[in-house]
Amino acid sequence: MPATETTDFEREFEELVRRLRTLPTAAPDDVRERVRALGEPAQQPRLWDRLLAAPWRRSLLVLAPVCVLGLVSAAVVHGVLNSGSQREAAVTSPAGAVRAVPGSSGGREVLQPEFSSRLPTPAPNPNRYQDYEAWMRVRVKDLDSLTERTNEAMQVVRSYGGYVASVEQSTSAGQPGQADLVLRVPVVHVEDALMRLSGLGTVVERHLSIRDLEQVVQQQRQRILQLKLFIARATEALKGSLPADVRLRLQLQLEEARRNLSRTTNANRATLREASMSRISLTFTTQKAVGATKTGGTGRVERAARDAASFLAAAGAVLLFLLIVLSPLIVLAIAGFWGTRAYRRREERRLLAST
Amino acid sequence: MKAVNAVTTSWPGLHVDRPSFSAVAESELDAVHRYLLFLTGDRAVAEDLTGETFEKAFRSWRRFDPRRGTVRAWLCRIARSTALDHFRSEERRRRREARYARDLPEAEEPGLGPGATEAALARLSPAEREVVALRVLLELDGPTTARVLGISVTACSTRLSRALKRLEEMMRDAGD
Repeated sequence: MPATETTDFEREFEELVRRLRTLPTAAPDDVRERVRALGEPAQQPRLWDRLLAAPWRRSLLVLAPVCVLGLVSAAVVHGVLNSGSQREAAVTSPAGAVRAVPGSSGGREVLQPEFSSRLPTPAPNPNRYQDYEAWMRVRVKDLDSLTERTNEAMQVVRSYGGYVASVEQSTSAGQPGQADLVLRVPVVHVEDALMRLSGLGTVVERHLSIRDLEQVVQQQRQRILQLKLFIARATEALKGSLPADVRLRLQLQLEEARRNLSRTTNANRATLREASMSRISLTFTTQKAVGATKTGGTGRVERAARDAASFLAAAGAVLLFLLIVLSPLIVLAIAGFWGTRAYRRREERRLLAST
Repeated sequence: MKAVNAVTTSWPGLHVDRPSFSAVAESELDAVHRYLLFLTGDRAVAEDLTGETFEKAFRSWRRFDPRRGTVRAWLCRIARSTALDHFRSEERRRRREARYARDLPEAEEPGLGPGATEAALARLSPAEREVVALRVLLELDGPTTARVLGISVTACSTRLSRALKRLEEMMRDAGD
């Protein structure tokens, strides 16, 4: 850029500058002809030439934000794609009975119970004595439904010849309502009863326990038989003539056997009663299960953000790794560049310093 | 610097207008020659290097970006690089000659011209002469000159001031 204004040195060395500018320094004609003979370059500038000519500082200022933007965009795309509706989400539940199912539409993900009321439950074996116990947690819509469903459950149990062992319902303002019922249903109807009870709401948890009592019953029966046999023999022996001490000892043993027989018989009756009536612990609640239903918006955004952050973290780790691995080479390259440049400048100064 | 009124070409898709090479060569030839004359202190060498400079410029014309500086500064950079290559080769030649032809008489150094100003200029170092040429004759501004020389603006200004003072002193001494 020519200096159009009068610069300091022009004022200070006015005469000298004027004399220097009048020196005959024009290029001779032969040089002019030689340059004219070159003509016009045929090759037009290409994009590659433009890129090569770009200043590296400006390029860096553009490239760095572009790279960061590209990385963030890739992370966002990765997060959005990975948070799609086809992905299953793990849901925590006390018994792990609830799981996510894919296939919901419109970005809304509905979590359903692992089993539904239509699915068959393990059936008791009618040829064996078994202790059948079920624990079930059923979600209902609201407090009104809670009371209605509790009544319906009691009616269901009675319709199968069962009874309600206990019922406890708690409702308070602002808190989710809950009703705990302990139901006894004849084992032969337990499957049907469970099916109908499951239909009273949304089953969020269910546990079943079947304990075989066949061996216990057989042992009790064998014991009863032995005791009866002993009592019969002892009674018969006491009718005859026996020494006084033997008679006394036999009478004591007979009384003890009768007490044992009574206890064992009662226990046997209890076992048989246990085997004939199943125990169902039913809980109705208005509280939504943890993660049972999630709106697609929030959950998906959260997952997308998490995935994007993971992607960025992975990219950062890779960059850090590359930086650590390549840093010695980068340092060497920079040192080589600056060293060469310094050497060339020193060489230039030396060449231009000589008169 | 004279304005270059010539046919312009534009980079495809980049909308950067550039003067034609022939127009640039016509308008900048004297400036480049003047610079090389001061830098080398030898008319014959300056003429050779001027031709060489424009040949190099011709070959790399497509890489010239008008947005990064004036065409005069770009040509001066090429001229300086060409002159430095010349100085290096001359230095090597002198070393060879000093080694194998010690007995040959020293060749007389050609000057810038017969006048007192030319004589005083010849006593300056090439570094001093080139800054005088760029700033005084080619009328490049301080930052552009500094970029061409690869030094800071302050160093450029100092070098110019020192060169002009020395030149003035030498001319005053020669007058006395």
